[in-house]
Amino acid sequence: MAKTSDVSDKIIQALADYLKRDAASIQTTHHLRDDLGLDSMAVIEMLYRIEEVFNIQIPDQDLVGLTTVGQVIAYVQGRVAPLKAPAKIPAKAVAKAPAAKRSTKSKKA
Amino acid sequence: MSTKVVITGLGVVSPIGIGVPQFWKAALEGRSGISAIPSFDPFPLEGYRSRVAGRIPGFSLEQYLPAGQGDRVDRYAQFALVAAKEALADADFRMEREEPHRVGVIVGAGMGGMVMGEREITQLYEQKRPHRVHPNFIPVITLNSASGIVAMAYGAKGPNLTISTACSSSAHALGQAMHAIRAGTADAVIVVGADASITPLVFAGFCSLRALSTKYNDMPERASRPFDRGRDGFVMGEGAGALILESLTHAKKRKARMYAEVAGYAATSEAHHMVIPREDGEEVAITMRLALKDAGVTPAQVDYINAHATSTTVGDAVEVKAIRLLFKSRADKLAVSATKSLVGHTLGAAGSLAGIVSALTLTSGQIHPTLNLDDPDPACALAGLSAQPQTRKTKVALINAFGFGSNNAAVVVKSLST
Repeated sequence: MAKTSDVSDKIIQALADYLKRDAASIQTTHHLRDDLGLDSMAVIEMLYRIEEVFNIQIPDQDLVGLTTVGQVIAYVQGRVAPLKAPAKIPAKAVAKAPAAKRSTKSKKA
Repeated sequence: MSTKVVITGLGVVSPIGIGVPQFWKAALEGRSGISAIPSFDPFPLEGYRSRVAGRIPGFSLEQYLPAGQGDRVDRYAQFALVAAKEALADADFRMEREEPHRVGVIVGAGMGGMVMGEREITQLYEQKRPHRVHPNFIPVITLNSASGIVAMAYGAKGPNLTISTACSSSAHALGQAMHAIRAGTADAVIVVGADASITPLVFAGFCSLRALSTKYNDMPERASRPFDRGRDGFVMGEGAGALILESLTHAKKRKARMYAEVAGYAATSEAHHMVIPREDGEEVAITMRLALKDAGVTPAQVDYINAHATSTTVGDAVEVKAIRLLFKSRADKLAVSATKSLVGHTLGAAGSLAGIVSALTLTSGQIHPTLNLDDPDPACALAGLSAQPQTRKTKVALINAFGFGSNNAAVVVKSLST
């Protein structure tokens, strides 16, 4: 079973690798876009790495609730240890994310 | 006064009909061409987040073309051949009466020959037998295979070009054909937009890009819903559209029936992001303004917009923002429709289908419904959008097309009765 700290470390490390910066500089309170500068495409690329690390598939509709580092950690923790951890993203976290603005469905296509 | 360029023939291969009469009837009736993808054999369908598309099941080339013609090109180029054949016949355009070097072919294609492309790549990597790569692999995946085969099939020896700007490809093909005729390098151009890449790899790529609708896998017909609050990404389609463009002089000389004039065109880059549009809509508004200026018409003269409207959350809202920026109070007086609500996003074919719809709208005064507009999103509401067919006198139509790579196009089509 994955411990919260394992998930957290792996995600922060994945982010640090992606952003080419020191893992210690990344906080769970950081907003992916506003604090870390990830645009919607970068969030998708980052989640693509996380899916591989944890062997999960993240449905499109769950992306809307993943706007901070902490939310990503909580979400992945729920997905990799469904019996021990809340399977859903905390309601608060979801409520904080305005749907349209934070959506990753922003392609020109 | 520059040379006037007119549309004299149309041809369609689409998920709602092969042939212009079938396509247009289905469009006005608001029939959806979106269905569930039955299989990506041998890959598990569950591995695909989106499982709906605007497909053309049962397409068989032999039904439309003489045996042997087109059997060495990929599906998208076969669609191009069939659409071009119909357009030439519709225009009563007889190559034997033309100077062949004055007739060009310009094709817009986003993905190209991916059916064979994927198969050959898979086989090579699985079997590790390079000497068994098919001899026709290179000609098939080379992106100008459609423009080549169309010219060969119909004897057009003029400028032969392929434009690949993703989703805006064939809007540019229309515009560049207009330029070629204006510049005097061709009397006529066969313009085609085509794509057929609902293939295991390309489709998976669009899924990974999180660009496709995933909420309506059990309700395929509801998945493509531009401007609706419930939209969640585009639905991939396949198909081709063809238009015969010629100089007004040439069309008159051969007493051709004319649908409309291709009067203006603009091509710009947002120089912004590979896949994300500028959210303020400024660049799209500039593109539309430049196309109108090229056509010599003012925003106040525009009656109809064939919107790019792919059914993505941000894309649709940006387009409406841009329309409001440019048209101001007139924005709500325009009739607007989203052809992708009917057939999905046919990528390289999209601009040509928009051109065909605009030509038919201008000649008939009929505007096809925008499907699934059940709950119009206030972020992209326009009074002239309707889930019902509309009848309105339209004299000036504007086509929007935006592509990955920060690419924008706008084309103005005018009624000849103005």
